Amino acid sequence: MVETLQNLYLGFSTALTPMNFIYAFMGCLIGTLVGVLPGVGPLAGISLLLPTTFGLNPTSAIILLAGIYYGAMYGGSTTSILMRIPGEAASVMTCIDGYAMAQKGRAGPALAISAIGSYIAGTASVIGLMFLAPPLAKYALGFGPPEYFSLLVLGLLVLGYMTGGSMVKNLAMIVLGLLLGMIGIDHFTGYFRFSYGVVALGDGIGIVPVAVGLFGISEILTTAGQPKRPEVIKPRLKDLLPSKEEFRDSVAPIGRGSLLGFLIGIIPGSAHIISTFIAYAVERRVSKHPGKFGKGAIEGVAGPESANNAASCGALVPMLALGVPTGPIPAVLLAALMVHGINPGPLLIKEQPVIFWGLIASMYVGNLILLLLNLPLVGIFVNFLRVPYKILYPTILMLCVVGVYAVNSSIVDVWIMTLMGILGYVLRKYEFEPAPIVLGVVLAPIIEMSFRQALAMSDGSYVIFLQRPISVIFLVAALTMVLLALKPLLKKGKDWRERLTKAEKTEDV
Amino acid sequence: MTTDRLSGMALLLLAIFVVIETRVLPLGTHSRPGPGYLPLLLSSFLAILGIILITRGRLSSSWRSVKWSEGLHALAILAGCVFTTLALETLGYRLTMVILMAFLFGVMERLKWWMVGSLSLGLSFGSFWIFDTLLKVILPRGSLGF
Amino acid sequence: MKTGKTIFFAVLIAVGVGLIPGMVIAQEAYPTRPVQIIVPFPPGGVADLVARPLAAALEKILKQPMVVVNKSGAGGAVGMQAAAVSKPDGYMLMVALSSISVMPEVDKLFGRPQTYKVEDFAPIALLTADPTILVIKKEASWKNVADFVEDAKRRPNEIKYSSSGVYGTMHVAMEMFIHAAGIKLRHIPTAGGGPALTALLGGHVECLSGGPNVSIPHIKAGTLRVLAGWGAQRLTALPDVPTLKELGYDDAEFYIWSGLFVPKATPPAVIKVLREATRQAVSAPEFKSAMEKMETPISYMDADEFQKFWEKDAQRLARAVRQIGKIQ
Repeated sequence: MVETLQNLYLGFSTALTPMNFIYAFMGCLIGTLVGVLPGVGPLAGISLLLPTTFGLNPTSAIILLAGIYYGAMYGGSTTSILMRIPGEAASVMTCIDGYAMAQKGRAGPALAISAIGSYIAGTASVIGLMFLAPPLAKYALGFGPPEYFSLLVLGLLVLGYMTGGSMVKNLAMIVLGLLLGMIGIDHFTGYFRFSYGVVALGDGIGIVPVAVGLFGISEILTTAGQPKRPEVIKPRLKDLLPSKEEFRDSVAPIGRGSLLGFLIGIIPGSAHIISTFIAYAVERRVSKHPGKFGKGAIEGVAGPESANNAASCGALVPMLALGVPTGPIPAVLLAALMVHGINPGPLLIKEQPVIFWGLIASMYVGNLILLLLNLPLVGIFVNFLRVPYKILYPTILMLCVVGVYAVNSSIVDVWIMTLMGILGYVLRKYEFEPAPIVLGVVLAPIIEMSFRQALAMSDGSYVIFLQRPISVIFLVAALTMVLLALKPLLKKGKDWRERLTKAEKTEDV
Repeated sequence: MTTDRLSGMALLLLAIFVVIETRVLPLGTHSRPGPGYLPLLLSSFLAILGIILITRGRLSSSWRSVKWSEGLHALAILAGCVFTTLALETLGYRLTMVILMAFLFGVMERLKWWMVGSLSLGLSFGSFWIFDTLLKVILPRGSLGF
Repeated sequence: MKTGKTIFFAVLIAVGVGLIPGMVIAQEAYPTRPVQIIVPFPPGGVADLVARPLAAALEKILKQPMVVVNKSGAGGAVGMQAAAVSKPDGYMLMVALSSISVMPEVDKLFGRPQTYKVEDFAPIALLTADPTILVIKKEASWKNVADFVEDAKRRPNEIKYSSSGVYGTMHVAMEMFIHAAGIKLRHIPTAGGGPALTALLGGHVECLSGGPNVSIPHIKAGTLRVLAGWGAQRLTALPDVPTLKELGYDDAEFYIWSGLFVPKATPPAVIKVLREATRQAVSAPEFKSAMEKMETPISYMDADEFQKFWEKDAQRLARAVRQIGKIQ
């Protein structure tokens, strides 16, 4: 403990030097901006600034880049709440209840809770990172293909069961998303699937064009032509802050979201979006009023937003403790270190205490900066809603095109965005929820790869899923879910979800 | 004909399409799944879901009840999107955006001509300056150099 | 109304003024405007880490901004195709890895139209050439390659190895060795180099053939060990590690190399300028120190030598790909 405090002292003295403080601030600022722009995510921001960091010392470089990374998670919720356009792919879940809150005039509280939750989650995860990095990282490595597969199967079942509306429709959307996610090169055999000669589809449909198209473009298509745009209640200053009740309701979701996000973020290869989906589903399940979800439940914003930020911190755990990248962004961060001659590996924490503890300290500082940055900005952002929609939506459209094109300088991505926009528009008309498609697209490659890898590992035997303890636990849980879902078919009478959906329908009327 | 029945049929058709498309991919065996294995599995599942929707679809609302009042407007915006996607790399970002914005502001929203002009030019060139020049995000410059 | 019209004309004038610089087209010596270097891989990868210091060094020599553009996808095919069809005026270069020779071969194997052809490119220079190394966990019982091969022969198809994807660098390299040694290993493809290494660290596979720079930190830390290298010479960073060629596996020679390319039809004058500039760039102190920091040895070869190296390497790779054949 004493050693940790000494290290923290070292860390803070590094992080609070004027230079590093400025870099942290710049990183957070850029990260927020990058997050606010639809489509453009932290990867783009970090890649842009990577060359500039070559000239800095490694500590400052990593402080700057990490600032962009977790800063983007703060900014991503802004467009999601105000315009139902995901600022970056992981913010898709916030679009659902966040936007509903905005339409009720509670945009301010949504943004505020999102910032506060992100702060708490970020800080708590840094504490977790600080104390638990090495043991957690080892736990993360134990996740092999069979465990992954079982976890994801459980996750999908949880989602299909827990989201509202008809289970059949949700399952259909998940399956559709999974099928879309299988477009591209099959990494196992080298075959091109469903790509019809378009090379750009080789890596599959990107998550960014799908998310921006399904949510953002479809929103524009639906709302722009309304003869009378639903009146957006112009909020007063009082309305910018969450009410006592909203605060109270958010505490538990923030806690659960942080824990879930952190744990899921640690697993190499998982995407942040998975943690937000699971957090949302969990919140819906534990809530005493599941009917609120989808209509502006603050828990539906607090949970996913906290999970988001905790996951980005969790993703740094294997990177710093073992030198193992958990995804494309930590990979770039590792590269940034390598360029400076720092070899990320198991000895990083021991050999480079300045970098490790400096980064930790600057993350505390950074989260605080972001909170102080975002809260006052709530007032400014909310004023965006005052701009007449007929001027706003072409601007948003333009930003979407820029955001999606900028990801990989690919015009195919813009095509996908347009097509997804049409799909999202039609789906909404026919009462399908588009969010599971996004999850399906993200999960398809991971699930399929884990499945075939596990079978390759066991040379074709399915027993491997049952031989490994963690995998067994997940599979048993999944089986329980399925049985619970089937129970009503045996019993006469509607199950709680159908009752719920009926209740929701009558509430609308 | 209800909405659910219609969507169920659409899903079923999609599932059949996918099954046909996976014909060219080797299926592999159960112990060594090939590239066609999971798509076939999933599309079969999708077909089942589609059929369920069709059979239970009687209870949902009629398909005529779906409102398409903003449909024409949406179609126009969509046309704008398609044009943008086609023109972005040939005409370049700035020119394409000016045309798109002018169309949306001028034709669809019918703003005053000077407002259309300043907004279209301002937004297109402004955003290009911010993204391409300042942030060095490469935006397409068409054959005319725009 | 008057204010509105004023605004409009103000914007018009501002835009016009802003455009004037862009409209001046000079026709003097190359280069006169910024040059793009396409890297067909996501940021932070091997090609990227070589391209950026190179861009910085070239910028000083050619006195024009050299902008690195990542255009990843399909294992590099997207960016390579884009570079192949770009205008051959010398303003779009490409830094690519040895996979440039592999992908058209794979396309041929599958009988599908090639996304680009190796002949679409003219080489400027070879920049780095790291051989891959055979990495195992510290706790593994094999002490050297002989142990490993003997064990593999005793239990064929039991020992697992991970790779960055089918026909990727790690797969082809390992397959070369497998074929030369006459053994059978179980292949577990993953989604990239990072996940492949993670799989080894987690004990889900027993070995892999990977690039040195990502594995060396773990070797130094003691979690992983090296048995052999795929180069013609031993690595300077690992002088005690024998090469497979030394041990008698002549065909097992594989390098993850990076090189600078331009489209084939680029005018010779431009190519000459680029060759000279690159020659100076690789000796530049900043470039050398950047490469040293990353522990990536510079293996510079000028265009003619590089062409020969490339052709020989391409033949080796093509043979390996054909040996692997179609999976399933």
